Amino acid sequence: MERYRANVMLCAGTGCVASGAMKVKTALQEELKKRGLQEEIKIVLTGCNGYCAQGPVMSVHPDEVFYQALTVEEIPRLVEEHFLKGRPYQKLMFKEPEKKVAIPLMRDIPFFKYQVLRVLRNRGLIDPESLDEYIARDGYQAAAKALTQMTPQEIIEVVKDSGLRGRGGAGFPTGLKWQFCSNVLSDVKYMLCNGDEGDPGAFMDRSVMEADPHAVIEGMIIGAKAIGAHQGYIYVRAEYPLAVKRLQIAIDRCYEAGLLGKNIMDSGFDFDLEIYQGAGAFVCGEETALMRSIEGKRGMPRPRPPFPAHKGLWEKPSVLNNVETLAQVPLIILNGAEWYRSLGTENSPGTKVFALTGAVNNIGLIEVPMGIPLRTIIYDIGGGMKKGRKFKAVQMGGPSGGCIPESLLDLPVTYEDIVKSGAIMGSGGMVVMDDNNCMVSTAKFFLEFTADESCGKCVPCRVGTRILLDILTDICEGRGREGDIEALEDLSQDIISASLCGLGMTAPNPVLTTIRYFRDEYEAHIKDKWCIAGVCRDLCTFFIDEKFCKGCMACQRACPSKAVVGEKKKPHRIIQELCVHCRTCYETCKFKSIKILPAKAREAQPSELIELVGTAQKKQ
Amino acid sequence: MIELTIDDKKIEVEEGSTILEAALKNDIKIPNLCYDKRLKPYGACRLCVVEVEGQPRLFASCSSPAENGMVVKTDTPKLRKIRQTVLELMLVHHPLDCPVCDKAGECDLQDLAYEYGKPEARFIRHRKEAPPDVRGPLIELSSNRCILCGKCVRICDEYQGRGALGLIGRGFPVVVQPAFGEILECDYCGQCIDVCPTGALLSKPYKFKARAWFLEEKDTICPFCSCGCTLTLGIREGKILRSRGKEDNGVSGGNLCGRGRFGFDYIYSENRLKTPMIRKNGELVPASWDEALTYVSDNLKYIMTAHGPSSIGAIGSHRCTNEDNYMLQKFMRNIIGSNNIDSSAAFGYAVVEKAWEMAFGQKSHRINLKSPLGKEVIFILESDLSITHPVFGLNILRAKREGSRLIIADSRETKLTRHSTQWLRIKPGTGIVLLNGIMKLIIDKGLFDRKKVAERTGFSLLESVLRDYTREKVSKITGITEEELTSTAETYATAPSRMLSLSIGAAENTKGLDTVLAAANLILLLGDSPDSLQIPAEYCNTFGLYQVWVKPEGKGILEMLYDETIPLHSLYIMGEDPVINFPQTSKIIERLRSLDLLIVQDITLTETAKLAHVVLPASSWAEKEGTFTNAEGLTQMLRKVVPATGQSLPDWMILRNLALTMGRDIGVRSLNDISNEINLSIVNRQSSIVNRQSFNPVHYTLGEEPDASYPLTMVLRDILQHSGSMSTRSQALDLVAPEAVLEINEEDAKRHGILDHTHVRVSSRRGSVYLKAKVSDEVLQGVVFVSLHFPHGRINTLTYPSLNGTPPICAVRVEAIK
Repeated sequence: MERYRANVMLCAGTGCVASGAMKVKTALQEELKKRGLQEEIKIVLTGCNGYCAQGPVMSVHPDEVFYQALTVEEIPRLVEEHFLKGRPYQKLMFKEPEKKVAIPLMRDIPFFKYQVLRVLRNRGLIDPESLDEYIARDGYQAAAKALTQMTPQEIIEVVKDSGLRGRGGAGFPTGLKWQFCSNVLSDVKYMLCNGDEGDPGAFMDRSVMEADPHAVIEGMIIGAKAIGAHQGYIYVRAEYPLAVKRLQIAIDRCYEAGLLGKNIMDSGFDFDLEIYQGAGAFVCGEETALMRSIEGKRGMPRPRPPFPAHKGLWEKPSVLNNVETLAQVPLIILNGAEWYRSLGTENSPGTKVFALTGAVNNIGLIEVPMGIPLRTIIYDIGGGMKKGRKFKAVQMGGPSGGCIPESLLDLPVTYEDIVKSGAIMGSGGMVVMDDNNCMVSTAKFFLEFTADESCGKCVPCRVGTRILLDILTDICEGRGREGDIEALEDLSQDIISASLCGLGMTAPNPVLTTIRYFRDEYEAHIKDKWCIAGVCRDLCTFFIDEKFCKGCMACQRACPSKAVVGEKKKPHRIIQELCVHCRTCYETCKFKSIKILPAKAREAQPSELIELVGTAQKKQ
Repeated sequence: MIELTIDDKKIEVEEGSTILEAALKNDIKIPNLCYDKRLKPYGACRLCVVEVEGQPRLFASCSSPAENGMVVKTDTPKLRKIRQTVLELMLVHHPLDCPVCDKAGECDLQDLAYEYGKPEARFIRHRKEAPPDVRGPLIELSSNRCILCGKCVRICDEYQGRGALGLIGRGFPVVVQPAFGEILECDYCGQCIDVCPTGALLSKPYKFKARAWFLEEKDTICPFCSCGCTLTLGIREGKILRSRGKEDNGVSGGNLCGRGRFGFDYIYSENRLKTPMIRKNGELVPASWDEALTYVSDNLKYIMTAHGPSSIGAIGSHRCTNEDNYMLQKFMRNIIGSNNIDSSAAFGYAVVEKAWEMAFGQKSHRINLKSPLGKEVIFILESDLSITHPVFGLNILRAKREGSRLIIADSRETKLTRHSTQWLRIKPGTGIVLLNGIMKLIIDKGLFDRKKVAERTGFSLLESVLRDYTREKVSKITGITEEELTSTAETYATAPSRMLSLSIGAAENTKGLDTVLAAANLILLLGDSPDSLQIPAEYCNTFGLYQVWVKPEGKGILEMLYDETIPLHSLYIMGEDPVINFPQTSKIIERLRSLDLLIVQDITLTETAKLAHVVLPASSWAEKEGTFTNAEGLTQMLRKVVPATGQSLPDWMILRNLALTMGRDIGVRSLNDISNEINLSIVNRQSSIVNRQSFNPVHYTLGEEPDASYPLTMVLRDILQHSGSMSTRSQALDLVAPEAVLEINEEDAKRHGILDHTHVRVSSRRGSVYLKAKVSDEVLQGVVFVSLHFPHGRINTLTYPSLNGTPPICAVRVEAIK
């Protein structure tokens, strides 16, 4: 291997590429060439680093200095400072909000400090398109061990002992799944990988496939040996072109190196692997639907039993594991079950990757030990609420999940505890919401998704989710009626009891958890026609409280419909007829002079208004 | 067996049964809308949910296996609540247009809503508002009424092997539609209409004809093919309005094809005969029964005296009952004194019987409709059994689904070839060569049953005949590769269980007696029992008419109609239309014109009837009682479901009356008398079974080789909607297939300058006809495909009968018409 003075690990994950990583790369290359450093400094394009909010990002090794928010304009200075003069370039370093002190090293940045990387062990450290680099980081050692030194049952025992649970969301013990399939006698079996990540905002699996495709392949080889499969498919949605590309490169390299195909590593074990691209239906992430989809049929779930371990793909015994689950398998084989259990809790050992997003300062991809309290994730890793706003809820588990309120923030992140809250672990989406979010609208947002993505096979899901959405839409648009909340709850329970697959059984969760923790908000929507967060346009009146207004004109300039009037340094007023309820003034005002009142305030008399402002103040 | 408790009732079921199956077998009702025992569990309607003790979640009983010791509750407040909600959700988009829906009154959704439904609707916010798709000829699709149980999609795809419907879209807007929203083009079996639990799929001919509760339903036997399915006819005010299959009813278990479901309306053809007719001054004019019978009686008597009874012949009918046919032969033998009696079976079933006697020493061959089930290998030779015998075809498809290997040797692409494991695309009429080639390989490889072969005569002759059929030669003649031939021979010969099946009849010209003998040789060579060769009789009562002795002891059809040297002065034709249905029309017309007396007894004024001296109006199958015997040899009762048309009478009654008019006593007065006589005579004849098995080696000879002037080979075969003179008079079936079409390969079309959907002149050495051309890749190059049956098509102008057992393949020329 050639040696370099320094390696620049430039993140080329989808997030950073979107914010200009490739342009930065070109600029960096040109600049290094100009300075004659191209022989000394190597640029490596890595997979997702996780700190997507600050992209493009890069780290310089061996110094471990982390740079963020790179721009083409800053590259010459950066090269000059860091690589010529040898002093880290402060301007592009991470600074804690408010504190303004630059933190040079990645491990000191709070976002990274609390994370433990297992699944993401190679993130930002290797070139995902290089098999050598993966092998250099102990890659395929576990596969070698499994293929040459272990029996299928031994592999299954280790995985069972590790307590690894499926990271796709339901948390079914992986070892047990393999055991079931291993017990079935059949010439043909299939090892499948579920890369059809479909939750809005979640991108854990994509990052793993993009940053460390070999980890997934290695996990599949081990799983294939355990269950006795000789053919595998990775089901990836076609919306992940980069993941598909890198997986394909990885598969090709493996075939060249004899890590896939006939007689892998001279062990006598054969395993062929192919990518199957999904067409983007959410329901195809459900295992039976996914298998139908690979068969080339309409992706619809079918009733179980028979379970896929008995009759899966093409009616043959099959195991389907999630990307993240498979990426952990090599570590377990290599380091043992005890090591794996050193993190996490008894029933939820190991680590979990989350896509942290929403109203926190640091958003991106994180990996944390199970059992860590939600509060730590939001306030330490996430760096707290943006602009110091008030925390309202964290949505976990995407469309199948639910909203967890502030009172449950000390909840440890384990499969069991999350379920108790009414949400689910899910694949790992975590959306933090502040008081700018309306919980009814949030439920409606997720229902729009599930109603649209329901395959349409079973009645409760197909029609039920549509009706839930209809009622929520009515509530958000001012047509809420007495009894709607009860109807929502009642129908939700029936949908959960009667649906055919996981999609329907969990689709009402966003509705039920928001009603459970934010019932008053629903009631305000229905009875008072009042959306306190000011999100539902028909259910709010924006009103300037003269007591607080300084007459700074900021809202007047920001208002798109010229509804704010008033002279400089004199209290402003909103002309209700012109107001489009877009919240812009509310977000612009630095003096909290804008109040969100119920819809009826639009025509209210002054005396009533004063009363309403009083109530509003109490509520907000 | 496992034991479980359902609703406090202890029951035993076979392992592998679902909870729903266990319950239904024990008369415990669990509501369901998407379950059908022919189909794989689907689990979509969620009405069949049950509670299982010790399990927190609900079980969809249609897809949950019954387990030993399980305690199941099918009706609890919790379940009622779920069912109520599910139905409420279905009714959210299902319009309450029951007052204008044909299904009302027999609608599963309506019944369940009545049982479980709530008086008030909480959620009426979404309705589907698509106009019904009325574009197809027979089936109407109202997606608004559809509850997406998927039964139609699945029965079409899984069971019928057609896949004409699909679920389109996702979520609430999903609809059942043909691909790309095109017009539904399918087999028109209408099974989707039967399985639809709502009024989403309706029969167009039945639309707005009657409310379900005014219909009187009567079961009778289908008048088309020899499967002998039970039709449940819906009748109002003396008119048949529809036909449907009832679950588990009859030999087909409630499955019907398009002919059985839509074809019954042939009895309402405007062509129906209402009075007797006598030819006067060259014109057929209505007459009274007295006049007509006296006319026939006088003339028959005259001919009997002048030329002798053997100058009179009769043709019976596969469309008529056993009683009718028995009466005809009795009339001929006892009253006239002639043994010249035959039927269309001469071209089909008679061949089978002959071969059976030669090869197996047995008198008659009955098939078993379920025989394909469980066979390792099913080999079908140049036959489209899905079309000729649809229910037999369904069992073949089912066997394939359940794991059988299906080998089809056929020149034409059919539903069976599409579902086959292996398709040997042989040239038409070369089945004998293929069979001989297979046998030679089996002998060469020593795969035959030496012990049993040693007990049979003619093996050395067979060996010497087969010597000629080398792999190269067989490959060259049939057009399949040598590898295909070898693999077929090996697969077939080494299968632990196997069957060979084909059909044979006047409407097909790729097989003859030799083909059946070659097939029988293969069976004997492998030491299989005669049952492993399944050749169904053609039509609803072909088998029966043979049983009641409508077969020649004097002259048969080939002599009566085709041999000018045989003196014939009168023919009594009952329920047959030789001009259209028998080969070489010109010869038949000539022969019929030469007769002194042609009596035609039929339900419509057929082309043959138009040549007659006397036409006698017969009642149709629905207007009389009697029995049909299907290809399995099962004799089933017909019911008189509607009154007779005009002055028409059942055939047997006309013959009885004629005998009386002739002043003779035929010995029977009523249907009952006939039945008793038939039973007696059948018992008397059953003794003559020889059971001597021998090989009958056959060489392959082509009936007619294509040459420069007639370069194309014409294949005759049934089409799905038609099987003869009845179906072509059905208005409903006519909507789908109104005329004879010549299918021609793209390359041939190009060469002969023929465009799709234009008319062409088709000529053979015997004459020319004009047909519409359809350019298709379903037929091989050098082959054109036509179906008989259409009276105006007159395809038989081109054909000739097989006199020596070779397949009567026909060489033709096709020219574009300027």
